[in-house]
Amino acid sequence: MAKIIGIDLGTTNSCVAILEGGKPRVIENAEGARTTPSVVAFTADNEVLVGQSAKRQAITNPKNTLYAVKRLIGRRFKDAEVQKDIHLVPYKIAEADNGDAWIEVNGKKMAPPEISARVLMKLKKDAEAFLGEEIKEAVITVPAYFNDSQRQATKDAGRIAGLDVKRIINEPTAAAMAFGLDRKHGDIKIAVYDLGGGTFDISIIEIAEVDGEHQFEVLSTNGDTHLGGEDFDLRIIDYICDEFRKENGIDLHNDPLALQRLKEAAEKAKIELSSSQQTDINLPYVTADASGPKHLNMKLTRAKLESLVEDLILKTKAPCETALKDAGLKPSEINEVILVGGQTRMPRVQDFVKDIFGKEPRKDVNPDEAVALGAAIQGGVLGGQVKDVLLLDVTPLSLGIETLGGVMTKLIEKNTTIPTKTSQVFSTAEDHQTAVTIHVLQGEREMAKDNKSLGKFDLTDIPPAPRGIPQVEVTFDIDANGILHVSAKDKATGKQQSIRITASSGLTEDEIKRMVKDAELHAEEDKKLHELVTARNNADAMIHATNKTLHELGDKVQGDERSKIESAIGELKTAMNGDDKAEIERKTEHLTELSGKLAERLYAQKSETESSPGAESEPAKEAKAGEDVVDAEFEEVKEDRK
Amino acid sequence: MSKDQVSPESAPNAPDQAEQAASVDTSLETEEGVAEPTPIEQLAQQLTEATRRAEDNWDKFVRTQAELENLRRRSEKELQNANKYALEKFSKELLSVVDSLELGLQAAVGEAPDVMRLREGMELTLKQLNSALKKFSVRAVDPLGEKFNPDLHQAMAMQPSADVEPNTVVRVFQKGYLLHDRLLRPALVVIAQAAAESTHIDEQA
Repeated sequence: MAKIIGIDLGTTNSCVAILEGGKPRVIENAEGARTTPSVVAFTADNEVLVGQSAKRQAITNPKNTLYAVKRLIGRRFKDAEVQKDIHLVPYKIAEADNGDAWIEVNGKKMAPPEISARVLMKLKKDAEAFLGEEIKEAVITVPAYFNDSQRQATKDAGRIAGLDVKRIINEPTAAAMAFGLDRKHGDIKIAVYDLGGGTFDISIIEIAEVDGEHQFEVLSTNGDTHLGGEDFDLRIIDYICDEFRKENGIDLHNDPLALQRLKEAAEKAKIELSSSQQTDINLPYVTADASGPKHLNMKLTRAKLESLVEDLILKTKAPCETALKDAGLKPSEINEVILVGGQTRMPRVQDFVKDIFGKEPRKDVNPDEAVALGAAIQGGVLGGQVKDVLLLDVTPLSLGIETLGGVMTKLIEKNTTIPTKTSQVFSTAEDHQTAVTIHVLQGEREMAKDNKSLGKFDLTDIPPAPRGIPQVEVTFDIDANGILHVSAKDKATGKQQSIRITASSGLTEDEIKRMVKDAELHAEEDKKLHELVTARNNADAMIHATNKTLHELGDKVQGDERSKIESAIGELKTAMNGDDKAEIERKTEHLTELSGKLAERLYAQKSETESSPGAESEPAKEAKAGEDVVDAEFEEVKEDRK
Repeated sequence: MSKDQVSPESAPNAPDQAEQAASVDTSLETEEGVAEPTPIEQLAQQLTEATRRAEDNWDKFVRTQAELENLRRRSEKELQNANKYALEKFSKELLSVVDSLELGLQAAVGEAPDVMRLREGMELTLKQLNSALKKFSVRAVDPLGEKFNPDLHQAMAMQPSADVEPNTVVRVFQKGYLLHDRLLRPALVVIAQAAAESTHIDEQA
């Protein structure tokens, strides 16, 4: 099915996301980054650069490196915002014949949609590379305050980029969808606090449930188009430069390399202080003067950072209050507050938002990506992917059967999505065992007795055979209704028994939680117990095998040797009755050694003489194995025809 | 087990059945004057409905399978990339260490024996670090004299120069680095400008 991508076409950065397996995810671009700068450059060689590479050559080509085109798209040349921009940007903003704001590049006038289309084209191409299929449709987000002309222009940009824009949605709405707020019942009022790299937007939106459908309405918007994370970085840079100048008499603003390093260090420090109380800014050899190299090494505390940017954060208060007033709401009437934009990761910002709205803001979705993720969700809804997605259950606890030694062997791990089916082949524990008991268990403990018993049944009439030879296929099948069918089939005879277990014979939510917790608490003990059981099983197998070999060799094993082996077996049996795993393993090893020597002799004898008891038993065993193989093949063909 | 033909009257495909049902319908109508569906018509309808649902489900199933295959393929590629670029963040941090060592060496010009010894030690340490980086496919981008390439370089300033062609890198402030084919950080460079034009340093975008 053709996928519809969701695009956050931002002023400084853009992001593209898609719904995958019912969950939205961001698509990395060709350079491996999750966001792409909204910058387009036309070089002297008539090359068009988009993204980071366009940004990197900006200094060499200021007139033809276009950024923040979003401030112009869909606007008239005479708009106040456009006129203001003319003095802020190095590229030429011109008036088109129809009065729109256009940009003059290399003497040619271009419409903003043409420029933004370049960014969209790159995002489209990168998404196609990721998905391995062609993308023809998209959902693009715009600020809530965009008018018709701006929305249409954005749609045009999409069309120029080769995308059928299925819908233009508001950024705060997209963010709300990313937080899952469109799936609640009833009406809900949301404040979206968006503090990004260069702009601040506050929107109050309402999601109303009307006849089962969710309708979105923007109640009010406000903000500051020149307030963002970059301003925060500047404060830190200025502070560091000041301190450095006080100590060393050098102004780092004048040293381009030092300034660049400082910019990166400042941003890094700001980010670190969101999770630590203080950080180091360490730049050895940051600059040099006549007296030699100079180093920059200073501590920056969270408290200091907060004091440096306090007034910036305060600037967001008035827009919030105005937005509330315009919406006719009190802070207490806001049901949810969500945070968008990287700068909202700062603890002080989060506290500030909490103070304004009187409630803890939601921050569980990546604030840089929330808008793109929401657009992807909308794309999924329009593409029919969300409607078609079945809500699948999972098994809350592992399911399995009891095996040798009272251990639980899991067949279906907990949290496996259902319906599901799995099979495993088991065998008998004793020679000539003609029936197996399938004891169905639910839980996480290692020992069967510590788990919940769901049911038990027997599979009988297994042809007598040495232990380990018969093949019993146990199948666990949970259908779409959560009903468990357990069946056991003897692959040799085709005889089958089964049992049906309904959900009601399982556990309650609380019981499940308790069992999972119990398992964690007892994990160590359980492991040790399991290891002990395994050691015992191995010991048993070794005793059995050794006895067999002894029997086959008959008279050939005499006196000393035989009694040594027999006493080793005896000692091992004694150890098995105890709980000392190490002891059991030691005795098993000892017996293995002795038995190994015996087996050597057995094979050496076989190659000397043609007829020996050993040789006879070999072909007989092979024949039996051959029979099994033939039977199994026969069985499978029968199954296929069914 | 598939259920075969229901009754001798029913035709192999639905439309025929509908037709037959229709013909039966008219006869019934003339007889009784009421268009109540006969059992055969009902079954015909149910069969059409069931066939349609089955086709729908089959379609959904095939699509899900295809999506699963696509998802598996994408996951594999992502895992490959995750492994390939696993060291990205870590190596980025180490680059500042390389910078500092290099700058330190540049600054250590004294002749005193202590300085010489320290210098030698630092050189060897830097060599160790560079060798470790190289081992994990981290390579330096040192483009002095090369043509400016915005994919690998970041222009910090322009400088008029009559000696070299415009857009050639005349100075490298800081080397760039690549991890395999991915740029960790660009080389910070100064570009030559045609001598006639004046230097025009603008703020970066």
